[in-house]
Amino acid sequence: MKLHEIINTLEPDVICKGDGDRDITGVIVGDLLSFIIGEAQEGEIWVTIQIHLNVSAVAVLKELPMIILASGREPSKELAEKCLEENIAIIVVEESAYEVCAKLHRLLNDDAE
Amino acid sequence: MSAEIYEEEYSIDGKEFVAIGVASTKIKAALKMLGIPSDLIRRASVIAYEAEMNVVIHGGGGIMKLEIHPDFIEIIARDEGPGIPDISKAMEEGFSTATDKIREMGFGAGMGLPNIKRNSDNMEIKSEVGKGTEVHAVIGIKRE
Repeated sequence: MKLHEIINTLEPDVICKGDGDRDITGVIVGDLLSFIIGEAQEGEIWVTIQIHLNVSAVAVLKELPMIILASGREPSKELAEKCLEENIAIIVVEESAYEVCAKLHRLLNDDAE
Repeated sequence: MSAEIYEEEYSIDGKEFVAIGVASTKIKAALKMLGIPSDLIRRASVIAYEAEMNVVIHGGGGIMKLEIHPDFIEIIARDEGPGIPDISKAMEEGFSTATDKIREMGFGAGMGLPNIKRNSDNMEIKSEVGKGTEVHAVIGIKRE
């Protein structure tokens, strides 16, 4: 599934659209940076409630094309700017991490069938 | 001991933990520029970023060094912080001495050193309480 299709479906507040043609391979959720560094696979969406600048550093490091901030958490100015600079998609959704992951699970599963 | 073919040292500011990643980003860029295989770059980047976090969070700043030899990459991180009293404890997954404020930012998960170990072929920690800590991580370069 393409990144832009996911953005279109979630109806989020879009801070940066990123590279819409990127294929999304899966989803990882977590707020511990070292956990994401250890476990995330390239091409995954990262769902988190962390909003500081290091989120973009981890996304760049692990080549994660998209960050979803759950529970309406607004990114810090520094994080928003860095995502624009690196062209990493970053969106804010009102749903909790649980709810947005459930949606993503349906989307990615339907897509695989 | 084989000769180095590339060597660079990066200083790490200990006061600015919102902007961690400056040195490790430079290391990643240097490895890319030198045409190191991408799987090794990924491993080296994880090592560099985790080591940089440790230097900032626990060491109060320091240096990181990248050395590229014909058959291995070595990343060295050094600080003059409080040191680690019990290294085997520090290597345990989930053990951390980070403050609550730092943990709230998602640091201090107690996975930094284990992540470094998992991504290196050889890792050594030298630490002296009150003097500082030095971490050496080596990744072998296999040539066809």
